[in-house]
Amino acid sequence: MEQNGVTALGYIPLFPLIGSVLAFIIGRSKRDAAGWIATLASAMAFAVVVALVMAMPEEAEYYYRAFTWFSVGGFTLDFAFRFDHLTAVMCLVVTGIGSLIHLYSVAYMAEDEGRHRFFAYLNLFMFSMLLLVLGANLLVLFVGWEGVGLCSYLLIGFWFKNLSYAGAGRKAFVVNRIGDAGFLFGMFMLYRQFDTLDFAELAQAISVNASPELLPLYFVVALCLFVGATGKSAQIPLFVWLPDAMAGPTPVSALIHAATMVTAGVYMMARLNFLFDLAPQAQAIVAIVAVFTAMVAALTALTQNDIKKVLAYSTVSQLGFMFMAAGAGVYWVAVFHLVTHAFFKACLFLGAGSVIHGCHHEQDMRHMGGLWSKMPITAATYGISTLAIAGIYPLSGYFSKHAILAALEGGHNPALEGLLELLVPMASVTAFLTAFYMTRSFAMTFLGSYRGHAHPHESPLRMTAPLIVLAGLALVGGLWLGGTLPHYLAPVLGSPAEHGHESIIEGLMHSWIGIAGIGVGLLCYTSLSQIPATIYRVIGPLSTLSLNKFYFDELYAAVVVKPLEAIARVLFRVVDQGMIDGAVNGTAAVVDVSGEVARSTQTGQVRHYAFFMFVAALLMLFLFVFAGRV
Amino acid sequence: MVPVTYYLTLSALMFTLGIVGVVIRRNAIVVFMCIELMLNAVNLSFVALSRLVGNLDGQIAVFFVMVVAAAEAAVGLAIIISLFRSAKSVETSDANQLNG
Amino acid sequence: MTALFFLVALVLLISAVGVVASRNAIHSALFLVGNLMSVAVMFAMLNAHFLAVVQVIVYAGAIMVLVLFVLMLLNIKLENQPALGKLVIGLAGLGGLAFLWMMVPLLQRSFAAIPQSAVDVQGSVREVGKLLYTQYVFPFEAASLLIMAAVVGAVMLAKRRYRA
Repeated sequence: MEQNGVTALGYIPLFPLIGSVLAFIIGRSKRDAAGWIATLASAMAFAVVVALVMAMPEEAEYYYRAFTWFSVGGFTLDFAFRFDHLTAVMCLVVTGIGSLIHLYSVAYMAEDEGRHRFFAYLNLFMFSMLLLVLGANLLVLFVGWEGVGLCSYLLIGFWFKNLSYAGAGRKAFVVNRIGDAGFLFGMFMLYRQFDTLDFAELAQAISVNASPELLPLYFVVALCLFVGATGKSAQIPLFVWLPDAMAGPTPVSALIHAATMVTAGVYMMARLNFLFDLAPQAQAIVAIVAVFTAMVAALTALTQNDIKKVLAYSTVSQLGFMFMAAGAGVYWVAVFHLVTHAFFKACLFLGAGSVIHGCHHEQDMRHMGGLWSKMPITAATYGISTLAIAGIYPLSGYFSKHAILAALEGGHNPALEGLLELLVPMASVTAFLTAFYMTRSFAMTFLGSYRGHAHPHESPLRMTAPLIVLAGLALVGGLWLGGTLPHYLAPVLGSPAEHGHESIIEGLMHSWIGIAGIGVGLLCYTSLSQIPATIYRVIGPLSTLSLNKFYFDELYAAVVVKPLEAIARVLFRVVDQGMIDGAVNGTAAVVDVSGEVARSTQTGQVRHYAFFMFVAALLMLFLFVFAGRV
Repeated sequence: MVPVTYYLTLSALMFTLGIVGVVIRRNAIVVFMCIELMLNAVNLSFVALSRLVGNLDGQIAVFFVMVVAAAEAAVGLAIIISLFRSAKSVETSDANQLNG
Repeated sequence: MTALFFLVALVLLISAVGVVASRNAIHSALFLVGNLMSVAVMFAMLNAHFLAVVQVIVYAGAIMVLVLFVLMLLNIKLENQPALGKLVIGLAGLGGLAFLWMMVPLLQRSFAAIPQSAVDVQGSVREVGKLLYTQYVFPFEAASLLIMAAVVGAVMLAKRRYRA
């Protein structure tokens, strides 16, 4: 162990960074090498994380100071990493699932011209995400936070020749920036109050400063940080970017918009749990927003026909579930759902990618169906993940979702008093809807008869292997983690309340919501396919609302985008064209005229230059003799 | 014993003559010679002051000025030759490629 | 001694004026040789014997021969453009006078600031050589590099057809 701490921590983000550079440089001439370089870099980071987790003693944490970033006045900021149990879990998810997705991408992107760019971005994303989870202070976290935003922009707009795809990238970037502003404000206020951004020091300072007069500050800071989280983790009102983010290649959706980046907000809340615990009102707001987000996104997912859009809204909805747990103050459950969600949602997205790949870039589920026999592995893994997300015992989703509902129900946040009677049923209904729309997507894709015109085929092993691994994790991950995770995270997030083991019968009984959702879904979309049409006719306006994503985009267009465009036009005409261009052109004109004047001195005659030198020497001498001291 | 101020005054006169020559002459070789004049004026005051303060550092400086002057003579005259080759003249007023 | 000084100073100044004023470049060069010789005499009078010898050999000898050689080679005698206007010459002269006028108080002031030494230094070959090869050995080596670069540069520049 060195003076700066555990050097191995530095390697974790270093591998993807080097991989990114190498993938880009080498990939320019050897396109196929890029994918393997990136995969290797990511796998090496994973290996380092695993080794560290294995070697880490109980209740310990590692610290590594890479270098002193800057030092201003009395404030010194280190570029430092901290590796505790929470970070360990996040790192395992990021690098583990990230590696699988890299492997999958090698096959998925095999024919893309710009795949060296793709893999460079993908590794750069891993680097940023690892900075985010490893950062020992808020500013390093923020660097990662911005980095994932940037990579997300680059990857969503990866096929930038398609203008709407490029637009989706821009939208993601701008919406994320709005959240980032909130995050920055929160950070500024924390620094102003405590003169530090280091997590350990902040926790220390806050624990001794729980005096009532500081509580409003904590409330405001927590709220600001949550605004940042809504941007990154796609909660109301800043979730609009995530469904559009499906413009990127499917592995990107799996990695960024399901498994890792969107969980940054959840991670940040868990990391700053000491702050949120002191701001119960903010927690209540988080919980309320989360429940509504989950509900609205689930309702929207009901009517989407694009297979990736369904999954995107499902992600928003599941993130809502995570924030419910965080809002209830039971952070380990939020992290638990984060992990299980990463398993099954990555599997679902990669499965969707496999389907899209097999159907020759068809994304509309109305042109699919009956793929069960054509691509059995994809169908099986997709099916397992569907059961998992629906919350069927003993799959992973059951444990985490059940724990969330229990946490919400058992919450003792005074600010939520009276509201729980509304929120808990809403969350349960959302869980039912989740099972329903996922079954719908499974049925429309894999069951029935094929409605498209392509010749679907199973994907190669390099794509199915990650699917199988992820499906396996989705299958047993909950059972395994449900017992170990709360104790593992206890040093960071506090000890959870013990709850007894449940038998299989109880478990199956508790998964009645999911079973009901699946049952109704299967009924509607296989044997009684006229039911949905009838329902849509009956509740016509409501289904239109869902089909059009509750008009959030239109609402933003009217309330935010249009006025901004008007202001921008005015600014463009008056300020930009009039004042700024005027100033620029004026400057140019001044330079032009003075250049003309100065030009006349440039005669090209060496003698004239010598003369000017002589005059200058005389002037200097004059200054020396009469004005200065020698 | 001649006072050091005499030497310094002489050096100043010589330097001034060199400067005026650089400015008014148009023949590049003569300009070059006027620069030598200025260098020598400085050398003279170096040696005079070296005598005044009583150490040899000033004379060493003169030695190095001579080295530079020799290098300058070699390069400068080579430049003048190639100038003559391209402009068929060594008039500085004919070398006006820098005219903006 | 003083009489000798004034005599040499007179030669020095007249030859300097000759360098600047001659219309024929060869005359300028010959005047410069005279000027450099007078400077050498001045060096000798200041006990800088080594420099006096080097001045004669290197300056009046090598460098001036080189200059004269180039003058002969290029065969230029008179400045073939009309003489400069009186205005320019007058301006330059005025500038020179102003320069002198300011130089004198500057010199006087610096002079007063320098501590006078009783030691009468002898710039013999032995003394200068000792200093040159001990304290100033690195500048000396650097000077040899400079000369080297100058030689190469001069050959490159003067070669009839060179490629950049």
